[in-house]
Amino acid sequence: MSGAVVGVDIGGTFTDVALLDAEGRLTIGKQATTPEDPRVGVVEALRHVLRDAGIEAGAVTRVVHGTTLATNVVVEHRGGPVALVTTEGFGDLLALGRQARVEDDRYDLRYTPPAPLVAPALTFEVPERVSAHGDVLVPLSDAALGGVVQAVTDARPAGVAVCLLHSYAVPDHERRVAAACRAALPDAFVVASCDVWPELREYERAMTTVVCALVGPIMATYLAGLEEQLAAIGVRCPVEVMESSGGVVSTAAAIRRPVCTVESGGAAGVLAAGTIGARVGAADVISFDMGGTTAKTGIVRHGHPTIAHDFQIAGRGSFGGARPGTGVPVKTPVVDLAEVGAGGGSVAWVDPGGALRVGPRSAGAVPGPACYGRGGADPTVTDANLLLGYLGVRDLAGGVTLDRARAESAVAPIAAALGIEPVDAAEAVHEIANTTMAAAIRMVTVQRGIDPRDFTLVAFGGAGPVHVARLATQFGIRAVLVPWAAGVASAVGLLRSEPTMELVQTVLVDLDDQHADAIEAAFADLEARARRELAGADGPTARVTRSADLRYRGQAHQLTVAIPSGGRGAALTRAFHDTYRHTYGVASDAPVEFVSARVRVTLPRQADEPRRTESAPPTPAVADETRPVRFVGTGELCDTPVFDWVRLTADASVAGPALVTGADTTVVVPPGATARVDDELNLHLSPPRGTGGSVVPASEP
Amino acid sequence: MPTDEPTHLDDAITADVIRSGLSVAVEEASIVVVRSAHSTFIQEGADACAALLDARGQLVAQSAATSLMHAASLRCSLPSLLEDVPAASMQPGDVFVLNDPYRGGIHANDLIVFRPILADGRVAFFAGTLVHVADVGGVAAGGLAALATDTFGEGLLLPPVHLARGGEPAADVRRIVARNSRVPDKVLGDVDALVAGVHVIAARVEDLLARHGVDRLEAFVDAWLVETERRMRTQLAALPAGTYHGSFVIDGDGVEPGRTFDVQVAVTCRDGAVDVDFAGTATQARGAINASVSQALSGVVYGIRCFVDPTIPMNEGCWRPITVHLPPGSLVNPTPPAACGGRIVTVAAAVEAILAALAEARPDLDTAASGLIHVFTLSGRRGGTPWLNLFYEFGGVGARVGADGPDATGCFFLGGRSVIPQVEPIEAGNPVVVRATRLRVDSGGPGEWRGGLGVELELELLSDAVATVRGDRMLLPPPGAGGGSPGRAGEFAVKRRDGRVETLAVKQADVPLATGDRLVVRTSGGGGLGVPARRTPDAVLADVVAGRVTTDAAGRDYGVALGPAARAVDVEATEALRRAGPR
Repeated sequence: MSGAVVGVDIGGTFTDVALLDAEGRLTIGKQATTPEDPRVGVVEALRHVLRDAGIEAGAVTRVVHGTTLATNVVVEHRGGPVALVTTEGFGDLLALGRQARVEDDRYDLRYTPPAPLVAPALTFEVPERVSAHGDVLVPLSDAALGGVVQAVTDARPAGVAVCLLHSYAVPDHERRVAAACRAALPDAFVVASCDVWPELREYERAMTTVVCALVGPIMATYLAGLEEQLAAIGVRCPVEVMESSGGVVSTAAAIRRPVCTVESGGAAGVLAAGTIGARVGAADVISFDMGGTTAKTGIVRHGHPTIAHDFQIAGRGSFGGARPGTGVPVKTPVVDLAEVGAGGGSVAWVDPGGALRVGPRSAGAVPGPACYGRGGADPTVTDANLLLGYLGVRDLAGGVTLDRARAESAVAPIAAALGIEPVDAAEAVHEIANTTMAAAIRMVTVQRGIDPRDFTLVAFGGAGPVHVARLATQFGIRAVLVPWAAGVASAVGLLRSEPTMELVQTVLVDLDDQHADAIEAAFADLEARARRELAGADGPTARVTRSADLRYRGQAHQLTVAIPSGGRGAALTRAFHDTYRHTYGVASDAPVEFVSARVRVTLPRQADEPRRTESAPPTPAVADETRPVRFVGTGELCDTPVFDWVRLTADASVAGPALVTGADTTVVVPPGATARVDDELNLHLSPPRGTGGSVVPASEP
Repeated sequence: MPTDEPTHLDDAITADVIRSGLSVAVEEASIVVVRSAHSTFIQEGADACAALLDARGQLVAQSAATSLMHAASLRCSLPSLLEDVPAASMQPGDVFVLNDPYRGGIHANDLIVFRPILADGRVAFFAGTLVHVADVGGVAAGGLAALATDTFGEGLLLPPVHLARGGEPAADVRRIVARNSRVPDKVLGDVDALVAGVHVIAARVEDLLARHGVDRLEAFVDAWLVETERRMRTQLAALPAGTYHGSFVIDGDGVEPGRTFDVQVAVTCRDGAVDVDFAGTATQARGAINASVSQALSGVVYGIRCFVDPTIPMNEGCWRPITVHLPPGSLVNPTPPAACGGRIVTVAAAVEAILAALAEARPDLDTAASGLIHVFTLSGRRGGTPWLNLFYEFGGVGARVGADGPDATGCFFLGGRSVIPQVEPIEAGNPVVVRATRLRVDSGGPGEWRGGLGVELELELLSDAVATVRGDRMLLPPPGAGGGSPGRAGEFAVKRRDGRVETLAVKQADVPLATGDRLVVRTSGGGGLGVPARRTPDAVLADVVAGRVTTDAAGRDYGVALGPAARAVDVEATEALRRAGPR
């Protein structure tokens, strides 16, 4: 390969950068996230990394970006205002919604569903109607169009979502409305549902479109500015953005359908864990990514992450997944993961009942944990970890020196409120954070009936390696892997991503010979469009996979079936019967209906793998220093050797109690645990066997 | 799978994995049943359930993603199976089906399937599933015999019979079921979905049996039920001791003109136990609104669970502290062959009565009544092919202390709008065009806290059809509480193609509709809570701005006058209005 590739992952607290140069050398950097303009942190971190790597800015050939911008905009109710234009008679589409009381909410007599994403005053009806079979029942008159466009214009929205009934089949009216809105509101971000995700079921399609309109203006400004600012420091290569499904697309494509990036950052982490697992021979891994603001978990089985097609932003539900009817549904594909509000920056507080709580509020990047000395006064998990000795004052986190005195003064009030010593309060904070993170691991494993003990736990993110041994012990997990450069593993994972475009089109017809050509035409059209969207995907190297949503005629639900290469007609029917029998244990010979075509086109890349940074002969691990550390349950500070990760060589072994410090994270090796370094400098941790404490405290409040 | 599995029960993680494994087994089975059902109208959160029970018939785990309406369904019907077919005679691969409402069932369309799970040569557990199947005959398509007067008009009734023997399908029973259905292929598809569901549970439980052995698994299950019971009793003990009364009045049964029906309940809380007595409840109806015992019990357990920790698992331990008295021959324990298909009317009334009673113990959880689910079917023939669709719409939820009632998701124990099919798939599968679904302005019951709004649905026929409708709380709209007013009553109507408008009865069967006619469904709003004049003028203004309340109603119902263009509250005029009289 020629030139250097850069992965950039923006978290709530830190911006991580990984650079892989032409020689296969990996250089990493970490910078405090700059929430008011995240690009400032990106440019700063990239500048440092280029300097550290000794690389000219012009040598960078590709920047791959993972961002949680889209999710944050939705969850924090930022962005907008967005207007929705829909078919006359359905202005209450979002207000009525498909919200369901689920789980415990069903017994909550006080339950109130969340407000719709678009206010009633910004919802507009347009007189028009198309039938399910494509007949125009009410034509869209120019007068009606002019009227609604005027009303939308008067409301001065930043984004406009247009979702008309049956536009997945007949998009003409929707396109006309969108075009007219674009003409009248040149500065607004106007999206038509047929262009975003033309799939049957108006509520989810409308919500997917609204999220686009909400996120689009922010995303467009952000990405355009990023390319400009990178160019200003000499990085003039294309920027790619990771989508929630784990593939990457151009910035132009990301702006066209920003809803596809809702789990961009999370997807990178799960993919990274899967890739690293595969390299050390672990096909089944749990990814555990703990940053400053949240902890995310996901599972990879047989080398593949699960892709969900019915994701709910901020959805609720147990059994390891958000229930339909909760949160903001988006129909675009998403790597399945769970997220909890526990990170290094999570703030500890004492509730009115006198109980110690941690999170979900985070001190974030600004002001950050108290020990960062940036004006933060609230005690955070990072402050607790510093007081417990897990972090040293010189451990650089994005160029910050940690201030122990500030951490102590921050923890003191909660210790006083609880009537205990500060170090005991710190341990309690650390343990409560562990419990919250355990819940995230539980969500993707135990709650799905999956035994976590059969998996390798891959820990990364700045705070993950600090907590992982204790978590593994709680679950009885025996194999823990902390990858080299764990603090920026998601950014490293971005380096390995491949350009991918997935598209859908509903085509509601019987699956029979009569419709075989129409179905084939839909697939061919999707494939052509996907290849167009991906520059360079027009050649034979592109990997094309087709799948179809099929069902027995008249069923309410469909099943996504992978289509064998070249499969059509009878082969499709056979694939459906087989998948159905495999999924549900039964099958019938009833007629089959075709619902939607799905195409995924991937442009394979030669895997750019970092080589070992050095190849020193194995030497016994020698501690660089010792410091007092308090391990959970020991009740005392224990003088603990501290090893410098870069100075550990392949096959070196470290016995707990010990700490292994890297440039971007610290691995806690508790008493009874051992850590071994492999020849790619990853750390394999064997946690002490637990006595089997409960994974999660009793759910009784 | 790890090879050095810990071997003692006190391994908390093993316990956690088993507990979750059992919960996931029933959850997964319910998903299989719902998603593989052939009924068009089985949506998420649907009229279905899946459960695991032990050899003694105790409920071990129940699906949570399905309707709470079926909390008691499988638990109540397993004893009938055991009565007719002794467990000792059951073989691996046996599968049974039943639906008799007088043997633990609900109504004809709710088919219940059980499969024994054997270990060490004996039955250790039962897997059970239920779904509202497409059609099993009776006088109305789809199981909505709104005016049936006995179970014989409601469809084929099955006592517990074999659906499979030793893994071989009982072809004769399948033929009987198919022959009695208007859509034989669909109903057999639904039966297959139910069977697939019990197989999923069995496979999961058999894995656990292989890993832990039957004795350990049973010991674990027993411990779990005991722990659940302990949590339930602790929570019940926290309610102030006493006997509390509640009642609710039903519009009618659609058959006996002018007769309303009272559901009365006395709830006694004492020493961590609760007794629910329906003495005083109306005698059974000639129409279909009677609730079979299992349905009445589902309503009872729901009402009580609203006052305890909602995370308590739904298993036998949850039921143990509850005793229930259902007077024989009453609406909540009818004598055969009384019709039971419209039982939701009575169950929901029982829930309202229990909520009202327990609100005496917990005034902070007081609620006004909600609009009920409004059910209707459309059926006909198009090009010689029969079509049928079962529709639902919800009324507004009653106001709560400190909060307005949510819109169009009544009543409380129905999960919400995720069960309502969307317009696009409805229109793709049926000769109808939905012209509008809108919130009904001014339909929420006025109160310090306003009731939720009902909706108006207008649906045009593209082909001749027959409609059957069944609502309630439309003649006696959802009452308010604590001085609040009732929600606005809903109605069913037909707009004929020539412009004539006909109002339908609250419960009416076989209304002929011609191509171009429109069926209009207006659902009732929820009741208000607290005196309307105590609602803050700003809240009234916000409702007007959001289109939930008209300017007229702001003055009439709340005594709030608004300034020009309804941009602000006219403070002086409002004070004058409110001084002028109580509202």
